[in-house]
Amino acid sequence: MRRRYEVVVIGGGHAGVEAAAAAARLGCSTLLVTPDLSRLGQLSCNPAVGGVAKGIVAREVDALGGIMGVATDASRLHFRMLNRSKGPAVWGPRAQCDRGLYPRAVRKALEALPNLDFFQGMASGLRLEKGEGFEVEVRGGVSFEARSLVVATGTFLRGKIHVGAEDGIPAGRAGEPPAVELAEALQAWGLEMGRFKTGTPPRVDGRTVDFGKLAVQPGDPEDFRFSHYARVELPDQRPCWVTWAGEALKKLVAENLHRSALYGGAISGRGPRYCPSIEDKIVRFPDVPRHQVFLEPEGLETEELYVNGLSTSLPADVQQAFLRTLPGLEECRMTKAGYAIEYDYFPPHQLHPTLEVKLIPGLFFAGQINGTTGYEEAAGQGVVAGVNAALRVQGRPPWVLGREQAYIGVLIDDLVTKGVDEPYRLFTSRAEFRLLLRQDNALQRLGPMAEELGLLTRAQTEVLRERVSTLEGVRRWFQGTTFTPPQVNPLLEQAGGQPIQEPARAMELLKRPGVRAEALARIGEAPFPPGQAGDALVAVEVEVKYRGYVERELERVQTLREQAGFSLEPDLPYRDFRTLSFEAREKLARVRPMNLAQAARIPGVSPADLQNLLMEVRRWRRQRLVGAGTSGKQEEG
Amino acid sequence: MVRPDTIVALATPPGISALAVVRLSGPEAFSMVGRLCPPHPPPQPPPGGPPPGGAGAPPPPHPGPPRVHPHTPRPTLGWAVDPRTGERLDQVMVTAYPAPKSYTGEDVVELSCHGGWLSPQLVVEALLELGGRRAQEGEFTRRAYLNGKLDLLQAEAVLDLIEGRSLALHGRAVHHLERGLSRRLAQVREDLLGLEASLVYHLDFPEEDEPPVPLTEIVAQAKGLEGLLEALAKTAPEGELLREGALVVLAGPPNSGKSSLFNALLGEERAIVTEIPGTTRDALEATVSWGGYPFRLVDTAGLRKSQEVVEQMGIEVAWRYLVRAQAVLLCVEGGVDPEPFLRELRERSGEARLILVRTKRDLWEAGSVPSHGEGPADTGGLPMVPISAHTGEGLAELREILLGLVFGEIRAVAPEFPVLTRRRQAEGVQRALEDLRAFRRALEEGVPPEAATAHLRSAETALEELLGVIPREEVLDRLFRQFCIGK
Repeated sequence: MRRRYEVVVIGGGHAGVEAAAAAARLGCSTLLVTPDLSRLGQLSCNPAVGGVAKGIVAREVDALGGIMGVATDASRLHFRMLNRSKGPAVWGPRAQCDRGLYPRAVRKALEALPNLDFFQGMASGLRLEKGEGFEVEVRGGVSFEARSLVVATGTFLRGKIHVGAEDGIPAGRAGEPPAVELAEALQAWGLEMGRFKTGTPPRVDGRTVDFGKLAVQPGDPEDFRFSHYARVELPDQRPCWVTWAGEALKKLVAENLHRSALYGGAISGRGPRYCPSIEDKIVRFPDVPRHQVFLEPEGLETEELYVNGLSTSLPADVQQAFLRTLPGLEECRMTKAGYAIEYDYFPPHQLHPTLEVKLIPGLFFAGQINGTTGYEEAAGQGVVAGVNAALRVQGRPPWVLGREQAYIGVLIDDLVTKGVDEPYRLFTSRAEFRLLLRQDNALQRLGPMAEELGLLTRAQTEVLRERVSTLEGVRRWFQGTTFTPPQVNPLLEQAGGQPIQEPARAMELLKRPGVRAEALARIGEAPFPPGQAGDALVAVEVEVKYRGYVERELERVQTLREQAGFSLEPDLPYRDFRTLSFEAREKLARVRPMNLAQAARIPGVSPADLQNLLMEVRRWRRQRLVGAGTSGKQEEG
Repeated sequence: MVRPDTIVALATPPGISALAVVRLSGPEAFSMVGRLCPPHPPPQPPPGGPPPGGAGAPPPPHPGPPRVHPHTPRPTLGWAVDPRTGERLDQVMVTAYPAPKSYTGEDVVELSCHGGWLSPQLVVEALLELGGRRAQEGEFTRRAYLNGKLDLLQAEAVLDLIEGRSLALHGRAVHHLERGLSRRLAQVREDLLGLEASLVYHLDFPEEDEPPVPLTEIVAQAKGLEGLLEALAKTAPEGELLREGALVVLAGPPNSGKSSLFNALLGEERAIVTEIPGTTRDALEATVSWGGYPFRLVDTAGLRKSQEVVEQMGIEVAWRYLVRAQAVLLCVEGGVDPEPFLRELRERSGEARLILVRTKRDLWEAGSVPSHGEGPADTGGLPMVPISAHTGEGLAELREILLGLVFGEIRAVAPEFPVLTRRRQAEGVQRALEDLRAFRRALEEGVPPEAATAHLRSAETALEELLGVIPREEVLDRLFRQFCIGK
């Protein structure tokens, strides 16, 4: 066992494993410390990866050489492309995964990395080393030294589980102890803390469910992969099921509301609005007559089902009773009760966009500790924190993803610029460049960057090259291929359009609504390599179908880059900038943006404030030049 | 650290008046007034004593009210004293408004002193001596805006109130100050956010119970909002005229009675009237207000081919006015064919609306009508008014026609409906309107919603800039309020 590492990562969830993988890939000696090595990348809530916006993040993580894509492909039980009926820019791939296979795939992928070590144990103490770095104590008298430290502890910091209105049970996840000493150690360094809550629904035994009464939701049959680089074997798909909660359940919940941890007053932390408990739904929308409930398989080798839509903190007896009001579940037996969990987080305005803590150089935070929710959000932060932890050790310049480059960039910029007041989740509406940030072009966007950083193996670089040339080939094919009326008219009529009289170019036909690139390629017998052209076909279709709007976004990217080119010193005396509104001065002083573009996104900073900020900064720089030596400290950003 | 400054200004015009108000705003306002009006001001040198600066006479008993309480909301009487000499400057009434409940949101003090040329100036100078800075024009209102006490439209309304010279503008400015315009634009923006939230629901939450809001409904709502913005935009050209006044030019052949009409409309002898054609060489301008609406009347040289240099120059000046005019009164004597003049005016005078004025009605035979002008058909649908500057016949009718032609849109608007009075407002509303139209058309043409929302966001931005509002995560807030979301 070594004692000294360049990068130590505390936490083995989605943020931790991606951070450890990224640091190791960049060549740093890396250690991952976690209380249970059999649960690396545990899917602790819904065993699903992806969705609208989130699916794009999962593919971005993969393009950056991450673990999530491969692990999802290797464990998926059910796949759907959400928003398939809408434009390709908002397609969201989502997979239900086998709760057991996923962590196994994660561990396999991690163990393939040469620079990565593991240690099972609960981190219990942190010390700043004199000079440079940290000492990490693990319960049981072991300690490690780290030059950069990534903390990715999820819901474990002073975690507390609630089932019913009694006092909560201290726990990081169901059945696992919380991290209390670590929370105290971090707080002792002067960091501001907050408290959030989230919840999870009960599970039922599938052998006690009458599937005859449920609507079946089969997976999409296609051969979709989250991973760009690897083609693992996909498990067979299993269906999901849909039922609904009606008046009987509403009545039960309403009668027992006082026994819920949420409404009985046991919980103070704020929860996410988009992931409400059934209590919340019934209290906030009393007139909605029924609520959909999805029954999702937990694994290939178990009959247990995840009851999606009934997240709750009611006592177990109420949960068992309300489950039996659902059509098809009249005889069901609950196997695990749902619960709410409260945990500490650190408000993320305390971070640089590299996810380094402003107060403590070398310390990085990733995942739920920053006030986010979701596996994909955690994984994306893990990559950024892991990469920057390694770059710092190597003396290389930091790496920041822009809002125009990735949803991960949107996520982190939102966190450090706007802060959070509820657990943060990504939506397509959070991105101003929605048409540019798609699941089909994640590799085009991020692959070259990953290669330059050193995140990719030689084999992965090869794949990247192939994919780039495939895209060019597909584009050329659509420009050069012409269809005759008999060849293409059945397809056009099927899409609800007018047939053609004269031969027409594929590129022209693709402009029509409802005409899919993939269908044209099929009837034109295009010679693309199998299984590799899917993304390229979508990308070409986007270029044609959103023409004008994509250019519009690119123009705005240009404006953004110009604003980002005006950098702001970390020690600007914002509170003295009297031509700015009071609110803007306070917010700027709190966030200390890196450049004008980030300043523009701070809520409370108006366009007029920005113009005045420009003038104030110029004046301040002149004065500082004149009175050199009288100004304050210059911090390193 | 830069010391935040306290600004001082005379809030009333200088000159002879009963009272004058000096205003201060800033962190030092209270302490400065405390030093200006000390609790026990030193005694006044006796009248006829040594000039200021040379105090030395024995102090008489102290008569003044003892203390100024800047923190009590009640006005307090005190003596303002020259901080250098200790000389009393004036007796002042002090009203203090602690932050943030003040006009600017900072500590504000208003000092009412005696009016006139000296007292207010001396008080201001004493405050500058005590560390105040002379305020720039509009700086109090700017601070009010920066501190969130007024939105941008309200700040503009303050300016309209101060600068406005017509009752109509005054009324609109009061309405804007009460957030009449702000509220309406904020509501439109709120509704646009609602539309965006509906689309976002469709995109970000594809698996919910509630079906998506149908696009046809979103298109219908967008059309409704377009109508609202159109109604606002329609008030802009006339609303802007409320500030400067509508330009009304009197034109016509020489000796057609323009100057007489000009004088009659003004109710005073401003222009020289003779029977000699070509008397008026230059353009004469005067401002009048009818029914609360401001007009700038311009009398011009008669239009004819002239060899005389001065008269020619006068005619050129006339044309310069004519091309900018909102309305032109073509003055032609009864019996003279107006057609050649009409033709030339129609060709050259741009957007102006024409009114044919048949002058010298008192000289016509009783009951007769001019040979050219038997009905609207003869004048091509132009409004035609026979008038007599001499008897006053037709003047009231002419004013009514002018009001209708120039301010018809906003006179028809209900008093609670806002009118855009500034170019910035007009441009902002127009931008929002065009973006909203582009959004609606894009949806109608089948552009996918995730792309079409780009137009919607620009429309929202235009309104946010108008209001000076800073966007927050409001779309998502709307969404979670509107729909029951989440598994």
